[in-house]
Amino acid sequence: MGMSAQDKMLNVASRLGLTTLKDMQGTTRMVYDSQTTAAFNHTFFKGAAQRAFPLTNVGANGNQFQVNEALLVEKIGFFIPTAADGIFYNGLGTLSVKFSLNIGNKTVIKDVTCELGGEQAFYNDGTVASSVIDLEGVGILIPPQVEYFVEAKAFTARGRVADSTRLGCYLFGTGALLNFNTTI
Amino acid sequence: MANQVQKVAYVDSKLGVSLPGQQTTRVIYDSVNAVAGQGFFEFFTNFAGKNEFQTNLTTNKLDSAESMVIKSIQIIMNSAAANLTGHLNLNITVGNQVVVKDFDPSFNATSRGLSFDRLHSGFNNSDNLEVRLLTEIVIPPQVNFKVTLQVADAVNVAANDDVTIILKGYGRIFSAGNSF
Repeated sequence: MGMSAQDKMLNVASRLGLTTLKDMQGTTRMVYDSQTTAAFNHTFFKGAAQRAFPLTNVGANGNQFQVNEALLVEKIGFFIPTAADGIFYNGLGTLSVKFSLNIGNKTVIKDVTCELGGEQAFYNDGTVASSVIDLEGVGILIPPQVEYFVEAKAFTARGRVADSTRLGCYLFGTGALLNFNTTI
Repeated sequence: MANQVQKVAYVDSKLGVSLPGQQTTRVIYDSVNAVAGQGFFEFFTNFAGKNEFQTNLTTNKLDSAESMVIKSIQIIMNSAAANLTGHLNLNITVGNQVVVKDFDPSFNATSRGLSFDRLHSGFNNSDNLEVRLLTEIVIPPQVNFKVTLQVADAVNVAANDDVTIILKGYGRIFSAGNSF
């Protein structure tokens, strides 16, 4: 039997010396960040504390989780905000995205593409092509208090040339929320 | 890894709930009638004047010897202009503990190729979406809980629009296990 998401979180936390993560509240978690100015290159989550809802949902902690909070990233999706206010968005349309995920000082996903419609063997969203990539294995853990960011470039899926566009990114998976487990 | 039945039993036992109860599938819901421009909604905190189809609870806690696991969250927007396709911010609090934090379920609205679920229902549309949770969340007996939802597209919310939250999952309801 394979390792579960919870098992992986506890395993990594143990190796990092995070002995109390196992006592925290389990949850389903997602963080997203978006940039509504068209550009060829985007860096998500870095500096996101300066942006407000609905451009991002990371809040004042920005691109790191607070003490004893973590996210095991299991899916990464990319979307295109439809206007500068960032309220509405769509899938990638005709674009694919090349991206890297960095956690701490380490690149943990390097030059991977989220290809438009690339998950159709096991991803069904009506007749619309997927803008989401499922991570192989169990996923990748973003530990507490470690900075993370995503660097992304959009390009046309068919023509394979860079495209300047608004862009957004979400990280979705199993999470942990701070739970004191005692009175303070 | 514990399944949902074991998880409810474990949490309940930690809280001193020893009655076995009748196992069931539980659905609880609450609907809020909006005022124009309302962007923040609180569910399961006010039950006054609601009919049985607007909410199936009368207080913001489950009865003694009743508990449930939240497996999925459904949101329904009844509005002529507003919908669920813009960014949302959902929080669930059980007791004093936030158990789902700053979650944006709008990615499961409509078919945009952005859903969290591998097999995404085409029936999820702009007014009606459901998200399946990866981690089961227990609501124990007699512990207050609430759900809050922030809607980015607040300007399109009109007076008397309705927003409904539905929590679905495995549960236990009271069973005396004896004749009275």
